[in-house]
Amino acid sequence: MTQTRSLIDENGKRTDGRTGDQLREIKITVGVIKNADGSAFIEFGMNKIVVGVYGPREVHPKHMALPDRCVLRCRYHMTPFSTDTRKNPAPSRREVEISKVMREALEPSLMLEDYPRAAIDVYVEVLQADGGSRCAGITAASVALADAGINMRDIVSACAAGKVDDRIVLDINDTEDKEGDADMPVAYMSHLEQVTLLQLDGVLNEDQFDQCLDEAVKGCKMVYEVQRKALMQKYFGNETELKEEQ
Amino acid sequence: MQEIRRKYVVPGDRIIEGNFRPLFNVIKAGNSIISTRIGIAEAGREGVKVIPLSGVYIPRVNDIVIGKIMHHSSLSWEVDINSCFSAHLPAQDVFGRDFSPARDDMGRELAIGDLITTRIIAFDRTRDPMVTIQDKDLGKVPSGEFIKISATRVPRLIGKRGSMIQTIEQATHTRVLIGQNGIVVVTGRNSEGIKLAVRAIRMVEEEAHTPNLTQRVKTLLNVSDSAPADTSQSAPSQNAPQNEDLQPTIQEVEEDLEVEKGEKVHDSN
Repeated sequence: MTQTRSLIDENGKRTDGRTGDQLREIKITVGVIKNADGSAFIEFGMNKIVVGVYGPREVHPKHMALPDRCVLRCRYHMTPFSTDTRKNPAPSRREVEISKVMREALEPSLMLEDYPRAAIDVYVEVLQADGGSRCAGITAASVALADAGINMRDIVSACAAGKVDDRIVLDINDTEDKEGDADMPVAYMSHLEQVTLLQLDGVLNEDQFDQCLDEAVKGCKMVYEVQRKALMQKYFGNETELKEEQ
Repeated sequence: MQEIRRKYVVPGDRIIEGNFRPLFNVIKAGNSIISTRIGIAEAGREGVKVIPLSGVYIPRVNDIVIGKIMHHSSLSWEVDINSCFSAHLPAQDVFGRDFSPARDDMGRELAIGDLITTRIIAFDRTRDPMVTIQDKDLGKVPSGEFIKISATRVPRLIGKRGSMIQTIEQATHTRVLIGQNGIVVVTGRNSEGIKLAVRAIRMVEEEAHTPNLTQRVKTLLNVSDSAPADTSQSAPSQNAPQNEDLQPTIQEVEEDLEVEKGEKVHDSN
């Protein structure tokens, strides 16, 4: 790997001034698209992603419908202006793959058998891309699905961890993704304690792998708190705490 | 009064631990009950349930819904009931048992685009729902202003024993027909009244889960507090603080639930 500069300085700070176990700033707004059944907008560091969920609705073309459960269709798409050089709006190999892994990351959380012969469409539109847009997309999509009122076992949170300058760090950004040694996006259901997505780009030894996964799961739990707060804010206003009474 | 515990939940939240019966919008995982929707969880003696605050309409048997005729085959009409499943109205339901596709002209009874009030007679998710118009107050909707609201807001729009909708109807001199599927038809002689009623319905839809809603609807409609329609509610005084704690919301939802159990559709006549 051609590394031109150090990605972690002598104070342990990374290129964007974060420490090794710090997430980028996350902001989620729920219900931004009026025409969709559920929607969310996420700012995950420099990522800006809007997600619209439609459904359960009738399946078109009809032959795609399944008799025993709902079809989940995901589309991850990057707008032409989301990167510094223009991105061709046609779906690329990468986008098709991310759409697939996103669908597989969200599917275990949904109770698709409750809506047989129907379809749920999830559109993930990346307005501005920084590293980790698939994690941000999954995070926002899960919030949008909850907003759409689809039966779910849990909310999926996603976060990446990776290896930079031989150190395991949380939430890899664009520079670290390109110049670092490894990137591991993880999607996780906090209550069920189950991993729904685990990818790895780079080389890690066994200890590093364990450490990386632990770090990513820790990150997912932090992301979950933001997701929960965003949903609570939309539906219950400032009463974000569980209110219990007789 | 039995003890009922309530809290706000999002999907995945553990509502309660112990041996409770899951009613709806919850799943049992091990010894605990988990919410599957955003809403208000209720744990009572009869079981645990979540009153959802969002979601599309899923048909249930005996729901009264308003649907639109999409097209017809030689034996049945296809009705759009604002759900992921389209309903079927058999031609025999309208023409009687001696219906003959060769003799009877289905297009003359119900044309494409007609609105009908129907009741769901059969639905089990494996097949499309079947509906009927052979019942009191069912059948074609001749005219009116058509509005779609979220199906989760319907109980709130009706209010406890129809209090909310009666307030709106009386203040605007309109008739409001509400289907469980979130389709609302407003009729009346006065177009200003219809406009005002539509505004009030939109307001109920947007602010359904906020406290003091009845009060704000009344302010919008210029109704005094002692309107006879609302005797069922212990309405707060006119100048009550707007942002009091959220207890009224829960009371209101409880009222909504009673509505859900009893009254399926509201029709003032």
